[in-house]
Amino acid sequence: MTARIPVAIVEIAGCRSSVPCVRARDLMEDFPLVGKQTDALAATRLLVERGLPGLVVLDSKGLPLVVLPGSQVLRFALPEYVEDDPTLAAVFPEAEADRLCERLAGHTVAQLMPDRAYLPQHDRDRPIVDPEATALQVASVMSRQHSPMVAVVQDEMVLGVITVHRLLGALLPDR
Amino acid sequence: MTDPNPWVVAAAVTVFVLAYVLIATEWVHRVRAALGGAAVMFLIGASSGQQAFFSAETGIDWNVILLLFGMMVVISVVNQTGLFEYLAIWAGKRAAGRPYRLLVLLSVITAATSAVLDNVTTVLLVAPVTLLVCSRLGVRPELFLVAMAMASNIGGVGTLIGDPPNIIIGSRAGLSFNDFLVNLAPLAIVLVAVFLLLARFLFRSAFVIDPAQAQDVGALDERRAIRDPALLRRVLAVLALILVAFALHSVLGLDPSVVALLGAGAMILVSGADRSEFLQDVEWETLVFFVGLFVMVGALVNIGVINWLGQQATQAVGGHLLLAVTVLLFGSALISGIIDNIPYVATLTPLVADLVAGGSGSESTSLWWALALGAGLGGNATAIGASANVVVTGIAARDGHPISFGTFTRYGIVVTTVTVLIAWPYLWLRYFVLN
Repeated sequence: MTARIPVAIVEIAGCRSSVPCVRARDLMEDFPLVGKQTDALAATRLLVERGLPGLVVLDSKGLPLVVLPGSQVLRFALPEYVEDDPTLAAVFPEAEADRLCERLAGHTVAQLMPDRAYLPQHDRDRPIVDPEATALQVASVMSRQHSPMVAVVQDEMVLGVITVHRLLGALLPDR
Repeated sequence: MTDPNPWVVAAAVTVFVLAYVLIATEWVHRVRAALGGAAVMFLIGASSGQQAFFSAETGIDWNVILLLFGMMVVISVVNQTGLFEYLAIWAGKRAAGRPYRLLVLLSVITAATSAVLDNVTTVLLVAPVTLLVCSRLGVRPELFLVAMAMASNIGGVGTLIGDPPNIIIGSRAGLSFNDFLVNLAPLAIVLVAVFLLLARFLFRSAFVIDPAQAQDVGALDERRAIRDPALLRRVLAVLALILVAFALHSVLGLDPSVVALLGAGAMILVSGADRSEFLQDVEWETLVFFVGLFVMVGALVNIGVINWLGQQATQAVGGHLLLAVTVLLFGSALISGIIDNIPYVATLTPLVADLVAGGSGSESTSLWWALALGAGLGGNATAIGASANVVVTGIAARDGHPISFGTFTRYGIVVTTVTVLIAWPYLWLRYFVLN
């Protein structure tokens, strides 16, 4: 059976009772989740059609493993040699840009993910927060993991997802 | 140092051998091994600050370090022009759908570039665009990449600045840019031609086009690789001046390292590049590796080990310079196929200097050319024989076209054997028969 994930990545503290405090559960929203075996093209369509900054990828135990940002999808779609030598991107005919995403066909989300070395080595590295985490604690996890979103998890259940837009909206002072 | 303590000699030799094993096996990163070895040489008294930092014979050869540094800055600026991408795509179009013709054109561009830039930079520039052109042509790129690495290693043999071992040899032997040009460049041109003929048969399995994968190479626009034509013109003008200055450095009274540094400064001025741009391709690790290596080898010179080995080698040769040239050429090729040729050449240069001093005229100078040719051509033998091979196989694997050690070596041994077998009669005829 699965090991229990230390959902409270950071201690729930620092929210004074006299000050209204935004918690992770207040910021989270419904969000599609994908598995490692999800079709890469279908996942990319989901990303585009829903205007998402990324996708939360679940591991085989159904727990959030990593956030796959749109830039990682592009990285897979582009030939490696263009990444090695960005000058080559300029020499392609414009019309061929339309065919870029064809490279995703027949692949799975697992193939779009970063190399194993860049995946969470410990549960504390997963992009997850407790529902009672404060906005600053959520920001800390996003910042540390360079992730545009985090999943809100309680008792090994994904309750929802917080996007960076939603978080910044909560943190921005009123005009 | 005179009459050193035998314990110091034993300790220094042990440290040197141990560091060499670590560098060759890559059990420890080569920079750590070289700096660690240098540190121990200081601690056991085999070297001192004065000997290590102020004597090219017993310490760091700053001419080599600064020549490398200057050329790395020059390359940083040249890289930004898109010139090589332009040339490679042009070659792809000129190949007109014929894979062998493509291989010939790309190999010639690579070898010529490698004569001016170092081999690793050359393959870093050529490999991505080779992958692009091969994918458009619908041919498998693995053997094209192997050919690029080999062409780069052969082309680099021809000039003083084409390969770091040549820079070390040039500095230690006092050989000029023109000495290399006159003595090695003609052979390098012949070897590239022979390599291209050999490639026609050796790499024939790569010349099969998959029509389902082929796309129009003509649709690529090489002109768009040149981001700033004015910058390209200025950079080419400075590059030409640098090459002229290298050729005339004896007349101008400027050491090659000074030419490279002045050239680097001129490149920075004409390109307007900022610090992060012109320093981005400086391989600090390589420079520090050289520093550690020079201190270690210098310590052996300092305590008399190299001198003793030189005397033994001179006695063994007994005036038979052709035998020495033969052993040096084939032995260097064999060793350079297995270990990095930079530490090998750095260690051998004081020994060869002793041998050359024991002889006279161009016959003895041919020992330097045997070392340069053996070390340079031997690098083609295996996938780890030269840094360019390691870089190419890495790029190929990342792009989903892995080249196994066995695959590279199968072709490498043939190319190395043929090129070294051609180099030997060249040395024999030119320096022993026709001299």
